[in-house]
Amino acid sequence: MMWIEVLSRHGEVVARQRVDSPEARIGRAFDNDVVVNDPHVAPHHLRISRAVDGELVAEDLGTVNGLYAEHGARRVTRLTLAREPGIRIGRTILRVHDATHPVAEEKPLTPPGAHAIWGAGLGGLLILLLIVVQWLNMTQEPSPNLLLLPIVGFVIVLAVWTSFWAVLSRIFFGQARFALQLRIAVTACLVFLAWDQVAEVSSFAFAQRDILEYAGLGAWAVLAGVCYAHLRTIGPRHMQAVMSLVVVLITAAALMQFFAKSETRRLFGQRANLGDLRPPQLRLVPLATADDFFKKAEGARRRVDQARVKEPTPGGLLSDFDLAD
Amino acid sequence: MRNAFAVVVFAALAASGQAQPPAQGAEAQQQPLSSAAERVYELAKPRILQVRTLLQAAGRQTTLGSGFLVSADGLAITNYHVVSQYALDPRTYRLEYLAPDGAKGPLQLLAFDVPHDLAVVKVDKAGLPFFDFDPRALGARLPKGERIYAMGNPLDLGFTIVEGTYNGLVDKSYDERIHFSGAINPGMSGGPVAGNDGRVVGVNVAKRLDGEQVGFLVPARYAALLIERARKGPPLAVDKAKEEVGRQLDGWQAAFYEALIKEGFRSAAFGPYRGLESAAPWMTCWASTNADQLPRPRAALNSTHCSSATGIFVSDRILTGRVDVSYAYYKAIDLNAFQFAKELSQRSAGPSIDMRGGKRLTEQECRDDFIGGDARPALRATWCMRAYREFEGLYNVTLLALTQDRDREALLAQLTMQGVSHANAVALGRRFLEAIQWQPAALPGTGS
Repeated sequence: MMWIEVLSRHGEVVARQRVDSPEARIGRAFDNDVVVNDPHVAPHHLRISRAVDGELVAEDLGTVNGLYAEHGARRVTRLTLAREPGIRIGRTILRVHDATHPVAEEKPLTPPGAHAIWGAGLGGLLILLLIVVQWLNMTQEPSPNLLLLPIVGFVIVLAVWTSFWAVLSRIFFGQARFALQLRIAVTACLVFLAWDQVAEVSSFAFAQRDILEYAGLGAWAVLAGVCYAHLRTIGPRHMQAVMSLVVVLITAAALMQFFAKSETRRLFGQRANLGDLRPPQLRLVPLATADDFFKKAEGARRRVDQARVKEPTPGGLLSDFDLAD
Repeated sequence: MRNAFAVVVFAALAASGQAQPPAQGAEAQQQPLSSAAERVYELAKPRILQVRTLLQAAGRQTTLGSGFLVSADGLAITNYHVVSQYALDPRTYRLEYLAPDGAKGPLQLLAFDVPHDLAVVKVDKAGLPFFDFDPRALGARLPKGERIYAMGNPLDLGFTIVEGTYNGLVDKSYDERIHFSGAINPGMSGGPVAGNDGRVVGVNVAKRLDGEQVGFLVPARYAALLIERARKGPPLAVDKAKEEVGRQLDGWQAAFYEALIKEGFRSAAFGPYRGLESAAPWMTCWASTNADQLPRPRAALNSTHCSSATGIFVSDRILTGRVDVSYAYYKAIDLNAFQFAKELSQRSAGPSIDMRGGKRLTEQECRDDFIGGDARPALRATWCMRAYREFEGLYNVTLLALTQDRDREALLAQLTMQGVSHANAVALGRRFLEAIQWQPAALPGTGS
């Protein structure tokens, strides 16, 4: 006994045929055990039988387009199906399974509404945290408008993002799974918010403004992570290829942002400032002496002395705004 | 605060810097001149020049100024800022003079004094009549109120004489400047200012934009000294002029910071803190507050800003030589500690004078740290500096310090030094940081 599956070009099983005879014939003609509707398949294309050792073997019955392993590039006349059950004939993919073919364990069912509950819970937490952060950064007279408008904007962006992935999921996976996409997006926002706050606070606490320079990289990593999580729910056929494309795009965006930032700094960032401050209690490094500080300042002097003899860099994309010289 | 940022413009006429509408005072200038002025101009006429900087390639003028002959062998005085383009880039520009009688010829640059904004040039003719310096002016013994006459070629309209009054030296100025009450206009830079007897008292140099008829002259004795230097010293190699500018700036800053330290400092109170205030008479201080702001501010601010108001013209891109010290005492009214810290981050940007110079300076490099000492408030300090590309060893430095002993009250101190050597910047910076102290009566814990 064996099962023969006919797969669509997207890898979904479109037909599954049980064959009880020791041998199965496959082709376009109607006297076959499995009839394949593909013009590139011969009327009598393939015979599947058992070899002496009991392994399933596929044989080409002398066709124009021949027989291939599912991912193989080389035409063969005979194919042992013990390890690779996939066969390609014409433009059709077939899989042949023994009755003993192992199947995956039963996957526990996500309780109905679990994603929705988690999504809503985390979403609520996120909005609460955003309001708190907003409040702590608010130096003007507080007003509901100031506090809530950015949150409303943020919720809209989140909704658009989630819908985008839900639509992709509906197209490629068959189900929208909006709640799951929302849960992923909200989790990513929480991770990003935490990262951002930690970066800002530690930049102050350790008196290292470079931390903020590189914190942007973390944000891009979070974006890559959330794209990966969304993609996994859709499970595209070429996951690796799609993910590489996403990583390439995100790297390009990160690089572009980096250059735009250094250009902006060159043009507008020349006013000395104390950086992003937090309450003094958050300081985590011991107090230095004035000597240490001026020794550190010596480093700045070396840097500007090196930069002095180099040609000034051109303004780049933003040179039209360069009024300083 | 408006007056704290007085705008002084140098009175050379450059292609970009004209288009100033005629002042209302122009009417007054059209009244018949006194016979004295007529006589002085008659005397001065063969002795004054228009000094033109021409673009070598195009042969057309880029900057106009004035000048005057001071010796029989053809030496003439003008402003450094009139010839600065040529001095810094002699391959692109050349100098030419135009006399009132229409005579033209090349000018040779012999010497300059950047801090006093003077230059000595030589015309290609000898045996011309020339100006004498007023011996009373050389000894600064001129009475206030004496009538003096500024000459030059304002706005390229033709040679002009302007009657005005001598008002002594400007009180709050490190570099000596004569306060001339009369109209100085672009193009008159480097022209002579003579007394009744036609002898030179000073040299036109600048005017204030925020006042009426407030002009400045370089005292004649600096011109006399520079002539002597040009005669005795080695001749100026024009292609090495940039190095000479750097040397003069370095010498100036060395003397300036020495004088600043010699004049001494006094401690001044800012809320529960104390800071450093210069005792130098030429540091001008202004205070401001936001107490009268509406709606009621969420953090009270009382600030003091002191500036040396020194401005040395190096090129039309570089104005240097200034020192600014400011203290701002902030106290939260209804901000919490996080909001208060945020407010301070937004307020901690240094003064915009940092921005000047563009690419003539390197990009800024900053270093941060928390500093503490015995019986002194902890500080969050930032040191930022930029180097002058063309002048080795000179920097613009900003030092910011914020007290860290309380979370809803702080002193933000800021020291900005332009065109300073690293050693001088560190010396003054160290002093500045050490001076941030608690008021004796307001030790930590006893405050609010």
